[in-house]
Order: sequence, then structure tokens, then C-alpha cells
Amino acid sequence: MAINVEKLNTVLQNFVTGTSDVEGAALVTPDGLPLANSLPIGMDEERVSAMSAAMLSLGERIGSELARGSIDRIYVEGDAGYGVLTSCAEDAVLLVLASKAVKQGVLMLEIKRVISELKLILI
Amino acid sequence: MRLVVTGPVSAGKSTFIRSVSEIEVVDTDRRATDEAMLLKHKTTVAFDFGRLQFSPNMALHLYGTPGQSRFDFMWDILIHQAHAYILLVAAHRPQEFRYARRILTFMRRRSQAPVLIGLTHTDQPDPWDAENILIALGYLTDQHPPVIAVNPTQPESVAQSVMALIQQYCESQASVTQPSMR
Repeated sequence: MAINVEKLNTVLQNFVTGTSDVEGAALVTPDGLPLANSLPIGMDEERVSAMSAAMLSLGERIGSELARGSIDRIYVEGDAGYGVLTSCAEDAVLLVLASKAVKQGVLMLEIKRVISELKLILI
Repeated sequence: MRLVVTGPVSAGKSTFIRSVSEIEVVDTDRRATDEAMLLKHKTTVAFDFGRLQFSPNMALHLYGTPGQSRFDFMWDILIHQAHAYILLVAAHRPQEFRYARRILTFMRRRSQAPVLIGLTHTDQPDPWDAENILIALGYLTDQHPPVIAVNPTQPESVAQSVMALIQQYCESQASVTQPSMR
């Protein structure tokens, strides 16, 4: 069965609008191609996708090479907010952008929830 | 000394580094799902890294870029660190020459480092010769970077091109430092 991109987009949009302080989300392939997104205006989907893939693969490499085990998530903390990368099933990577005000516990739980939702559509 | 290996998708960048690296190459390969899929199964998404102890007091760090232009932020990061770089071009895929030219322009805008053009896949049917490829890359006069044929799967061939690149780097250093010594 083909992947339902509409559905992926809807799930991401609901996630971004429904979770406070989450500013954007994108689902990409591990080699850096866009699958679905709900990103802030002005962010180029292609670029975001490629960056997410590069970051996750480097992170995983650091995990294995420096004996940190398999990687659950990659966390980029800036003074304006967070970027969290999580692998989502075998063939996708989820990027979530959140503002500095976000409650981190809530963010992690919400990411977990949206991933289980996305996985159902991807398989 | 840092060398960057760049070029279009499937030109042989990762193979190039694997051929000469003394350490196990740090790669970031992912299964390809784009047009690269037609050429190979896996594609680099961040960079390849290899190391070669060239002489007791000189270690070479080799960085391979991803081929696809959506990773141009990686090109940007890597080229700024490069002492010299090599552009690999598959001689039998003329449809990629334009794209190779784009990469070259991208790099030149950011770096003054010496460049070497490496022609790969020259053993494939219908390879173009160096002269025509230079024209396709936009070098219409005699002023062009050195061209060398390289087979990324053969360590000797790769070593030869690495030597050529180092030589070029030394020459460019000499021409920079001489006027200031006067």
C-alpha cells in the first residue's frame, strides 16, 4: 500500500498546532528527502530535510564509535529554542522545532506519541 | 593537512577515501531513495572521513562530501577547512558535467585552495577525454587546474592523485609566501 502523504501532513499539522510551544515538524527519509512537513514560513523543506539526515547519521555514528549505544534522539539546544531529531520507524526521521519556553518533559512525551501515530501510517 | 574530495553523485568519492585510508573510514551512508538509487544502493549524507599518515610529520585527513546539492551546507562546512580539494568527475556520464561545474563554482566562491580534477570511470564505455571535459567544465583557455585520471578502486592510483594534490598545494604555498619574503 502506498504511503498516505496527506495523512502524514495532517498528523504533523495537528501536532504542531496542538502542542504548545512547538513551532514546526518535518518527516524526512534517512537520506535527506522530504516526506511531509509543517514548518515555519521561510524554512526550505529540502534544506531542512538534508540537514536532519546529516545530523542524525553523524549522531548515530558518534553513538557507535564512542560507545554510546544506539541513539534515541539528538538534541540541539540554542538560545532561541530546541531542535529534536528522532528516528521514526526504519525509513523516516522526525525533526521537531520548539521554542525556548517549551516544557521539555511534555515535548518528549508528545514526540513519542506523534511517532507512534506516524508509524501506523508509514507501515 | 585536510583534503576534500568532492564531485557529483557516484563519481567515486567514498571509494576514493576507502582506498587509501589507514583507519576504518567514518562514513555516514544511508540507503538511497532518490535518483542516486539508479546508480548505487547507498549514499553519503554527511561526510566520509579517512586518515593517511603520509610521512612522519604529515598526516592527511581526507573528507568526502555528499554528492547531492541538497547537502550543500556540508560542502560549505568542509570546503572552508580544506587546504586543497579534488573534484571527481565520471568521464562516461556527460550529463553530469554541468552539475560538476556547479560544484566547482560553489567551491571556488568559498575557497582559494588549489584544485585538481580527477577523471573516474575512464574504463567504462565511451569516456570523454580530458580536453573535452575541461571545456564542459568551463575551462576554455590553457589556464586550467591539472587533470588526472584516477581509478578510485585502486589504492596506487588514488595515492598518485593524492600526491599530485599535495604537490599542487606546496606549489601554491610557495607562490604565496615568496613575495612576502622579499
